[in-house]
Amino acid sequence: MTKKLLVILALVLGSYPILAQDKTVSGTITDASDGSPLPGVNVLVQGTTNGSQTDFDGNYTIEASEGDVLVFSFLGMKSQSVTVGSSNTVNVSMEEDASQLDEVVVTALGIRREEKTLTYAQQTVRSDELTKTRDPNFMNSISGKAAGVEIKKSSSGAGGSTRIVLRGNKSLSGDSSPLFVIDGIPMANNRGGQPGMWGGADGGDGLSAINPDDIESISILRGANAAVLYGSQGANGVVVITTKQGSAGKTTVSLNTGYSFEHYQELPDLQFKYGAIGAAKESWSTDAGDYADEYVENFFQTGHNFNNSVSISGGNDKTTAYFSYANITSSGITPENKYNKNNVSFRGSTKFFNDKVTVSSGVIMSIEETKNRLPSGYYLNPLTGLYMFPRNRNFYDFKDNYEIFNSDRNLMAQNWFVDDHHQSNPYWIIYNQPRTNNTKRVIANASIKWDILDNLNLQVRGNYDYKTEENEQQHAATSNGTNVHANGAWDFSDVDDQLGYFDAILNYNTNISDDISFNAVLGASYQQTKYGFGVSVGTGVLGLLYPNEFLFQNLPTNVPVNSTASEEIIKQGVFANTQFGYKDMLYLDISGRNDWASTLALTGNQSYFYPAVGLTGILSEMFDMGEKVSFAKLRASYTQVANEVPYNRIFPQHSISANGGVNRNTQAPFLDGKPEIITSLEFGADFRFFQNRLGIDFTYYSLTSTDQYINVSLDPSDPVAQGIYTSQYINAGEITNKGVELTLSATPVRNDNFQWVTAFNFARNVNEIVDIGPDDERFYNLGSSEGYASRLYEGGRFNDLYVYKFLRDDQGRIIFENGTPRKTELLELVGNLDPDWSLGWNNNITMGKFNLGMLINAKIGGNVFSQTESMLDGAGVSQRTADARDAGGVTVNGVDQDSGAAVTTVDSETWFRAIGDRNGIGEAYVYDRTNISLSQLSLGYNFNVEKLNLPISAATLSFVGNNLFFIYKDAPFDPELAMSTSRNSQGLDNFNLPSTATYGFNLKVTF
Amino acid sequence: MKKFIYLFSAILVLGACTDNFEEINTSPYQLTDESLQQDFNNVGSFYPSMFSQIFGNQVNHNLTNVTYAQHLATPTPFVGGINNTTYYIRWNGYWDRQYNSVMAPANQVIGIAESTDQPMFVEWANLIKILSMSRLTAYHGPVIYSQYGPEGDGSYDSEEVLYNAFFADLDRIIALYNANTDYVGLTAFDASYGGDIALWAKYANSLRLQLAMRISKVAPALAKTQGEKALADPAGLIETNAENFNISLYGNKFHPAQICFEWNDTRMSATMESILIGYEDNRIEPFFDPVEDMALVADHPDWPYKGIRNGAQLTAKDDHLPYSTIDIDFNDPAKVTTRKVMSADEVFFLKAEAALRGWAGAGDAQANYEAGVRASFELWGAGGVDAYLADNTKLPIDYNDVVYDGLEDGSVNDFTSDITITVAWDEAADNEIKLEKIITQKWIAAYTNEMEAWVDHRRTGYPKLPPVYQNSSSSDWGLIPNGEILRRMPFTNGQRENNASGVADATAKLGGPDEIGTRLWWDTGGPNF
Repeated sequence: MTKKLLVILALVLGSYPILAQDKTVSGTITDASDGSPLPGVNVLVQGTTNGSQTDFDGNYTIEASEGDVLVFSFLGMKSQSVTVGSSNTVNVSMEEDASQLDEVVVTALGIRREEKTLTYAQQTVRSDELTKTRDPNFMNSISGKAAGVEIKKSSSGAGGSTRIVLRGNKSLSGDSSPLFVIDGIPMANNRGGQPGMWGGADGGDGLSAINPDDIESISILRGANAAVLYGSQGANGVVVITTKQGSAGKTTVSLNTGYSFEHYQELPDLQFKYGAIGAAKESWSTDAGDYADEYVENFFQTGHNFNNSVSISGGNDKTTAYFSYANITSSGITPENKYNKNNVSFRGSTKFFNDKVTVSSGVIMSIEETKNRLPSGYYLNPLTGLYMFPRNRNFYDFKDNYEIFNSDRNLMAQNWFVDDHHQSNPYWIIYNQPRTNNTKRVIANASIKWDILDNLNLQVRGNYDYKTEENEQQHAATSNGTNVHANGAWDFSDVDDQLGYFDAILNYNTNISDDISFNAVLGASYQQTKYGFGVSVGTGVLGLLYPNEFLFQNLPTNVPVNSTASEEIIKQGVFANTQFGYKDMLYLDISGRNDWASTLALTGNQSYFYPAVGLTGILSEMFDMGEKVSFAKLRASYTQVANEVPYNRIFPQHSISANGGVNRNTQAPFLDGKPEIITSLEFGADFRFFQNRLGIDFTYYSLTSTDQYINVSLDPSDPVAQGIYTSQYINAGEITNKGVELTLSATPVRNDNFQWVTAFNFARNVNEIVDIGPDDERFYNLGSSEGYASRLYEGGRFNDLYVYKFLRDDQGRIIFENGTPRKTELLELVGNLDPDWSLGWNNNITMGKFNLGMLINAKIGGNVFSQTESMLDGAGVSQRTADARDAGGVTVNGVDQDSGAAVTTVDSETWFRAIGDRNGIGEAYVYDRTNISLSQLSLGYNFNVEKLNLPISAATLSFVGNNLFFIYKDAPFDPELAMSTSRNSQGLDNFNLPSTATYGFNLKVTF
Repeated sequence: MKKFIYLFSAILVLGACTDNFEEINTSPYQLTDESLQQDFNNVGSFYPSMFSQIFGNQVNHNLTNVTYAQHLATPTPFVGGINNTTYYIRWNGYWDRQYNSVMAPANQVIGIAESTDQPMFVEWANLIKILSMSRLTAYHGPVIYSQYGPEGDGSYDSEEVLYNAFFADLDRIIALYNANTDYVGLTAFDASYGGDIALWAKYANSLRLQLAMRISKVAPALAKTQGEKALADPAGLIETNAENFNISLYGNKFHPAQICFEWNDTRMSATMESILIGYEDNRIEPFFDPVEDMALVADHPDWPYKGIRNGAQLTAKDDHLPYSTIDIDFNDPAKVTTRKVMSADEVFFLKAEAALRGWAGAGDAQANYEAGVRASFELWGAGGVDAYLADNTKLPIDYNDVVYDGLEDGSVNDFTSDITITVAWDEAADNEIKLEKIITQKWIAAYTNEMEAWVDHRRTGYPKLPPVYQNSSSSDWGLIPNGEILRRMPFTNGQRENNASGVADATAKLGGPDEIGTRLWWDTGGPNF
């Protein structure tokens, strides 16, 4: 019964269009261990895409011909193959299998394949793993559950974006984000603006349009191998999201309700012992006091997340439907931070013309409202004022009176102790500079599948993805004058994103001989994207005519209202994929694709072709490997993917400037631009032992990215500049990424009442910049901030970290001059932001009706950099500075450059002002990224619904804790939290919102 | 079955249509060269953008040359008070602004103007380039000028080469403009002179005189030749305020007003207080606003203005915010619509110094000196110039930073004025005294365009400005001995990192280490006469 309840979760698996066959085969699938019926079992006619699923009572029907082989597969069970004979009934009793080997998985373009035939690495995460964690952004819950997937969560809270990189950074200019695909169709994942050192807030990304409860599974195709059929946009890997479909049979209603609360994990270590001297904004007094310390903690509040969703699915053998509604209502850990999301989705499928034509359609709608998502960086950030407030002053004077009446202006004005570009009254920012972000999105798709012959079908699909996004921040008059005019400022944008996608795919299966099967897919696709079209206004310090009125009529004449366009791209592609199978033991894949990309117009290179080939051998089918080896497979593949250049880079034109003149474009035309090429070679092995209780999945890959599209800023001395250009684009360079991914899964204990399943996901990626282009001395800034830069040098690595270091003598002593430590003239290499390797350890223990899950994530190696700590030191508010004052100074190993005398102690203020503040000696603020964290702990209980005598078929209650605590870390902040989820400013902490621990429960009831 | 595949393949092949790719890949919100040909905007529309980048922003100017010239001072202890203003370099961004936003577009515009046979536009852009580089070289010394362009090798010019190149280019520009004074093609794009070529020629002559004076000590013969050429040119010099060369603010606010009133990062300098109040100079009223708190000006309540010392020791920003702001009118974009680059007063003071140096055509030193003062008073609408010019007793006052009187060391930031000259001309005095009077008055009149005042101070030692109170210089950027001044800005870190060999060559051409204490070519350190 337990199993039955567990598998009910999978009841809403999709039903797949059915090819006309000779007869209808039906039967019941049961669990071999106890004879109970198994719902949700996949049934597939081998070598075709014709499939079905068992209903709640374990019954299925499928159209098949005599001699066809039916493949039965199900999560946690050994797949079975049965040849259809004369009987119309095929009953199967399935045996447990900890591995998920023979599963039918969704691959490129929604094509289903048996996993064992794949020639590349693919790892699937099931829906229960996603919904269990209840992270408002579901991609965050993938972390640690699949190898080779680097996930960095935005520090901005609910609705924020996520940075995902598969197998390391491959592109010098792009952000190496994978392609997201929903049910075979590429999805717009246009990330919003990202914060930087000067401020700004996370604009979210496109993934939040999806209701996690609608997701059946997420498959991660890490390599370009898997992605060749998507074209260049899949060059960085593909995340394939398969949504739930209606299934024929009994109507199923599923209710999900969850609540969680969150609290910050850790604040910077602040001192409350020493105040300021006079009116100074820094707390550098050496007279100890006893100052209030609770106002910092009190600024933060407990966040609440409410998740509610309902789904209904059902249908008959002609028509199926799935409907869901979900709501997330959250309040963050800072005042007035709210997030509300409503999702509605509908999916239906009907068969016509003797079931030869299947028409399916789906609509996803989402409305998101976000208020006061916190920014990062120096400017207009409540945390700067909160943390740096001088200790001897009374914070409550400013908290309670964040605005006071200004009789000179007859308006309410900001009340803060200092006029400083970095600081504002935190509560003023919260209440009087509110930030809102409203997004509405519709993704609609329709597909027609025509079964022309038994083994030939044509599928035509269309998808339209539309998003409109309104961003606004209204800065009240008397907000910080560095960024805001005396009458206030208005940042407003209203932009649309559109993605239209159309494809046609012909799918053909045959058996060339008794031993050789053949499958061919031939297709064409057309995609047009238009991102960021709309209007934007940012008045900044230019002002408003009348205070505190935020509307277009109130703009002075020198404020431009901008028409915006971030990209418009048409991509057309034709592709072919063939697979030859030999005796179910050897599979050969050959694919090729030709793309036409509008971004390469004028270059003559807008049409480009790239191939892929892969081979899989199932050793356990070829040889008798003994009882201990349950399954063994080796695979190899070679792939090329070409990546077009971004929009409007080939021949950019000129823009109207705020002063009414025209800014001359000084980027050199890029008329010989060509696509970047990523060539990858991948070897993999998949071995299962002891009835699949132990499994090893190993991948080695070697990626070479060449013809990298690079933006080179041209120094005035550079002859290429010709005195007329300041930047140019070139195709150059070579980056290699070599790595291993290892998944070790085991079921150490398994008996009737107790099962422990454990899995390690290990990944290591080694990146090298082999060639940087024609000028070997040249370097590229990936992102820089004061005293920090992430740079690419030939022979270096992606995300190499450069900071100012201490100037030291031969003995390693810090050189002092007039009592102050000296720093290096230029930024120097100090480390790398990427970890050496990553490990996720996922455990699931089932005991009776209880299920316990635990996930431990580890990142070993790498560095992060904190401008927060540097600023707090400079302001004398870090505990470090109080400790130093307590000790009467900082103990150093230094030497005076003039006298040669040893310097052993430095005055605290002198020391921290020199190394801290802005642009100090960054070496002191570089931390080891290494950390081990308890990322997830969950406890679930399956109710014995039969005893309840209610119309409930399943009920599960679970308690979940996310991001609970660090078992080990070096950095004084969460090094896995990203200020920005774009390529820039990685590993940088600049007054980021602290990361949060979340605790909650989730109740799921199925009727 | 096969026919389906054939049919399908045919559809695929026909399907790839790339005709509209070029249009798709062009931003609809950028202006194409083709569109800009209307009304000849393909050349003219770029000039406003270039002119508006001649002056730098807060860190390029206000916290750099303005503070070294001591017109304005910051109340803000940026980076713990250790920054450009106290001789520890944090910001050095004027270089990038000039090459990215002036030089590169100017060369492109020259290319278009040449190809469309519009030599007047070619030379207009060349004039902007000289203006830009003559300011940038005042920061760094060697810059990339003659070798910047399609035919150049990108190397730095030594200053000697640079100034000769400036003069040669000015020869060509002035010759063309003098021959085409009736040309009206610039009108639509010229917010400074409304397209009046004769006035541009006057500016070009005045610029030549300014550059000639810069090198008067290091290359006296060349300076004299060039100066006399400027003085003799038939187009003449800027000698009335109506002829002043101003750059339009194009509707934007005067940037120092933003720094002063919105950011509260700049105030009147202590040196201005000392000199203007000491001389009872009525220009103080259009320059600055009085303080509200009279306790700050107890020592001169009739002149209720208070300034901050440049390179002051600062505890908290709030300490000095009550000191004098710049005049509130600067904060109104309707009242202040332009920024002065070259004005009649400067030309008269140049001629006065030229007279001391014996340059033909310079006229009488005293007459020029007094005309300069009068032109400045007229420009700022200040009264009492006759009494001012006649005053032979008043001297700059000593400075007391009153808000720090309560500190343990109450003399923090205080200074005693070293200036012993009066305003009234003394024909009997020696040239050194006369020069000090000229440059001191030139310094006052330079208000709002401090570049040349900084050059003059380094070149002549005048006015006798107080040294920084807090000297945070170190070996990082070069040590400045207490009492001495910063003499240049280092080459940029961008250049050091991206063009190390170029910087090495430039440092050799500089003739000293790439440090802030190294004197530029024209800053000889020798006697003024």
